[in-house]
Amino acid sequence: MKDLFKKKPMGALGLILLALFVLVAIFADVLAPYPMVNGNMTVDVIHKLEPGSAEHLLGTDSLGRDVLSYLIYGARTSVILGICCTILSTLISIVIGVTSASIGGKFDLILQRFVDGWQCIPGMLILIILMNIMGNGLVQLILAMAIPAGIGGSRMIRSSAISVKDAGYVKMSGILGGNVWWKMLKHIIPNIMPVILMGLAGSLGGVIMMEASMNFLGYGVDPGTPSWGYMITNQGRSNMYVAPWLALYPGILISIMVFASAMFGDAVRDLMDPRLKGGIGSYNSKKIAKIAARMGKKQTV
Amino acid sequence: MGKYVTKRILLLVPTLLIVCIIVFALMRMIPGSAVDMIVYRLGQAGQQVSAADVEAKLGMDKPAIWQFFTWFIGIFRGDFGTSLFQNESVLSMIGRQLMATLELVILTLILTNVISIPLGLYCAARQDSISDYTIRSISIVLMALPVFWIATLVLIYPALWWQYAPPATYVSFFTDPIQNLKMFFVPSLLGALSQTGHQLRTVRTVTLETLRQDYIRTAWSKGIGEGRIMLRYAFRNAMIPVITVIGGSIPGLIGGSVILENMFNIPGIGAQLVNSLDNRDYPVVQGCVLIFAIIVMVVNLIVDISYKWIDPRVELE
Repeated sequence: MKDLFKKKPMGALGLILLALFVLVAIFADVLAPYPMVNGNMTVDVIHKLEPGSAEHLLGTDSLGRDVLSYLIYGARTSVILGICCTILSTLISIVIGVTSASIGGKFDLILQRFVDGWQCIPGMLILIILMNIMGNGLVQLILAMAIPAGIGGSRMIRSSAISVKDAGYVKMSGILGGNVWWKMLKHIIPNIMPVILMGLAGSLGGVIMMEASMNFLGYGVDPGTPSWGYMITNQGRSNMYVAPWLALYPGILISIMVFASAMFGDAVRDLMDPRLKGGIGSYNSKKIAKIAARMGKKQTV
Repeated sequence: MGKYVTKRILLLVPTLLIVCIIVFALMRMIPGSAVDMIVYRLGQAGQQVSAADVEAKLGMDKPAIWQFFTWFIGIFRGDFGTSLFQNESVLSMIGRQLMATLELVILTLILTNVISIPLGLYCAARQDSISDYTIRSISIVLMALPVFWIATLVLIYPALWWQYAPPATYVSFFTDPIQNLKMFFVPSLLGALSQTGHQLRTVRTVTLETLRQDYIRTAWSKGIGEGRIMLRYAFRNAMIPVITVIGGSIPGLIGGSVILENMFNIPGIGAQLVNSLDNRDYPVVQGCVLIFAIIVMVVNLIVDISYKWIDPRVELE
């Protein structure tokens, strides 16, 4: 954490922005100038499609809803979606990747061929087909986005699990009578945690972007749930000549969130990747010089 | 080389089988109410059919295994089934639309490379200069912009300010290339944007690594000019990771093309797919997904083979 702020200012900025979005999502009811009543936004058709004013800072949409409040509640949807999706997809990746690596043999071979085949189908298509089958809604969207991402991400987890599997301590655990499941839970998963965390930090932005794009094709959360993507597509596009700002604001927010999570993900990866972390194995000349100096001292003493 | 290519092409068949199983399984997950929906839609279209007829047409009255193999064997005979709504075979529908999709994807690829490779090389050659920082910052911003949002803005603001909109009727490239390119240029440029950001950074990082090699120093000491060093020595050796990135971007490009086709009114497979899903015309959906998967498979094959072409030292198994 300290390293993040010291060595990766951009990553820290990303983290701060993400934390800000999460806070806005949690305190949406307090922050929004026109809070939701019984889970619905206040509708005021008389004042529809108004530009920004003192009453409605960012104007109103075609139903007279306050755009600023809508965007604040939209942050809540995006945050819930992003967090649930990344966690669920990582869990799926771990289950597939780790079992495939630890059981090995024919099971691994056949499962991996399926993962290969799955990756030949563009993720977007699987997503829209799943959404078409399950219908719109927040839970459905989380499932439809997490399953393809989880299967795709299992690749990296499997390869790192394989490299851990042959380590001495895992073999030893086997000799001492630990079965496959014990080895998996007690030894393999804790030791591939950096790879798992790297995946978690990096995939958040993709989820937000995907949700927004899906809205354009008519799949997404229920129309009643505020969502930035839905606002761009439905409000922004249909009123594009009267109220062009409706498409502008949510897009800026999506971009900021994607940018923040990309910066944060990059920083986490750089800090956790053992090849970049420092130590003798890395090409960090300062560190090597330090170690060399210490060794030299030892020899003279 | 020839042996390797044949082997890889033969290996496509089992992968195709697995892709077909996955697509088929996805289609079987469709709830039973879909049949009623189809009956209703067909009724709207003026065809009176019973639910049993639709089930028979979808092959749902037979066991799943039988259904799967008739479909799978049909694919090799070029028979992808027939559309439920239009009296046309899926293959001929796809054939009609394949050109537009391929044109969009290929133009996007060309634009991505034309922008990202020279800029990436330039950034590597002038590392840490002001222009390097500017280009890199812009590329990070490009990566964070949702394509469909920029597309929406591109449709809104020029129309608002200059009353300009890209042409909305499709003309084949071979009948009127200029009109055709006018239509495709904006969507493919938009599709290229986010990919450009990513690829530019890859080109830069990889080239920076190769520029530190001994043979580059030797080339400098021999008095070879900078342009020649960058292109012949540094870039050629940096190309393998770049090709991997390009190959990996294809599924994303296809996903993006689905959105761009719908947005810019391009009659491609992506637009057809979304349309058919809305209509619940499942045989067409199956065909479209399969065609996209085949494109991805072929691109992966080309990428693997091109490694050998770029770097003759690469050993193909």
